[in-house]
Amino acid sequence: MEALAALAAVTGDELKAAEAASSAGFAYGLAAIGPGIGIGYLVGKSVEAMARQPEAAGMVRTTMFLGIAFTEALALIGFVVFILIGL
Amino acid sequence: MLTAVVIGSGGTVRVELLAGGESGEEKLVKPSECLFEPESEELKNAEKIPQSECGAGPSPILPEAKEFIWGASSFIVFALLMRFVLFPRLKKGMEARYNSIREGHENADAARSSARSEVAQYEAAVTAAKAEAAKVVDAARTTLESERQAQISAANARINAKREAAQRDAEAAKAAVRGQIESAVSDVVSSAVEAATGKRPDSAAVSRAVADVMSAGVR
Amino acid sequence: MIALEFPPVNEVLRWKDLFPSFNKIALICVAAALIGSLIFLLAGRKDHKTAPKGVRNFAESIVEFIENGIVMQTMGRDGLGWTPFLLSTFVFIYLCNVPGVIPLLQMPATARMALPLFLSLLVWVVFIGTGFKHQGLGYLKNSLFPPGVPKALYILVTPIEFISTFLVRPFSLTVRLFANMLAGHILLVTFAVLSKALFQAEGNPALIPMGVLPLFMLIFLTAFEVLVAFLQAYIFTILAAVYIGGAAHPEH
Repeated sequence: MEALAALAAVTGDELKAAEAASSAGFAYGLAAIGPGIGIGYLVGKSVEAMARQPEAAGMVRTTMFLGIAFTEALALIGFVVFILIGL
Repeated sequence: MLTAVVIGSGGTVRVELLAGGESGEEKLVKPSECLFEPESEELKNAEKIPQSECGAGPSPILPEAKEFIWGASSFIVFALLMRFVLFPRLKKGMEARYNSIREGHENADAARSSARSEVAQYEAAVTAAKAEAAKVVDAARTTLESERQAQISAANARINAKREAAQRDAEAAKAAVRGQIESAVSDVVSSAVEAATGKRPDSAAVSRAVADVMSAGVR
Repeated sequence: MIALEFPPVNEVLRWKDLFPSFNKIALICVAAALIGSLIFLLAGRKDHKTAPKGVRNFAESIVEFIENGIVMQTMGRDGLGWTPFLLSTFVFIYLCNVPGVIPLLQMPATARMALPLFLSLLVWVVFIGTGFKHQGLGYLKNSLFPPGVPKALYILVTPIEFISTFLVRPFSLTVRLFANMLAGHILLVTFAVLSKALFQAEGNPALIPMGVLPLFMLIFLTAFEVLVAFLQAYIFTILAAVYIGGAAHPEH
């Protein structure tokens, strides 16, 4: 009987773990959508700007990295949430 | 699948059944060999436990104090070293080299400008010498020219004198011939008039008329 | 079937002590400080009259990268005094990142929370200190009540500015560096585990050559991680420079 109770407890834990894993996946997936679009748009526009004005490429590149850093933070927070609830 | 766990706590030995992995042949390890100790006290004191019963450890994103302290102290030491020893030395070397390069550039510029001024001086000297030579040549040319002019004028004067003398001779000869012709014509005229009128004409009037006619004819 | 077994995440992140209270992360941090010092020590010792070669050339190009690529772009000429700090930040973070792809070490020290947390707290303290030093109490006024905003909007703007300047900045600096390196590390572990599982697949021999595919992915990702290690060090440094420059000059 004791063993069966232990088995039941384990199953409950596993259920919880499965829920956590799937919600972690959702959290990261949803968090990646916005920054993905944002970084794509940002880099595309930067390349356009650099192609139009190659002499300003250095400044555009610096600003682009700054923008990527700020945009990417959102996706990374999603990743941290994924680690927090999934693992 | 169940796994038997032998728990020895305080002299008594107890055997417990635990839910193991699916394989059923999981390795049994000592709790101290686990990376993280199991959470429950019972398992911690067990002699051998299945590996899956090892603790999961704290959340992976929690910072660890020892890592914080080691990382912080090594960074602070590195940053202080960089600020006060390493960077100033490197920067000093870089600046010394840049200054020497700049000095070299300035020296080259100075040398270039001095060379340029020397070239200008040389060119000025060359122009002066050329002007001198031109002056000498001009002077020689003017003397030659004046000498030539003097020679030419002397020759002209000689030629003129000779021409005048010849002209004078010719005039004299012409006048003499004209006088002879006039007297001859006057004689002929007076004898013709005498023959025609029987009267001897005034010789002065005849000679005047002859002279008039002849000078008109010559002209 | 293949036995694909991802190790528990703590097993690939937390390390046993090599000796009490000194683990692999601490080893990497100390090694990074030592290697960085050594590079600049060797570079500073060489004769500076001739054209730079080897270590000296390397160190000087890093210095010029920091000066021209980061300081001049974000702070201008006034910020050149910050070069040593930013230089040591950049070199230290890079040297802590790059063990993530060095065989046998294969653990970026910045994939643990402690080091990024310390560095961003340091940057936080430094930029707030710079703000107070350059503007006195006007720094608080300038950063919390930005000029040119209608008075009524301060109810809305001031909390946002406070949160974004004083709370989100250190948090995002930490999380950016930490999560990037952690993600890279987990990605490498994933493909290594997958490749190993395929190479050791039992029962279905057709699976064994398939292990080459995740192996190629692993090699590609390793090259990518070299780039990420540099990029994260650069981004951390340039953000630190932007924060410090913004605190030094109110209207930038």
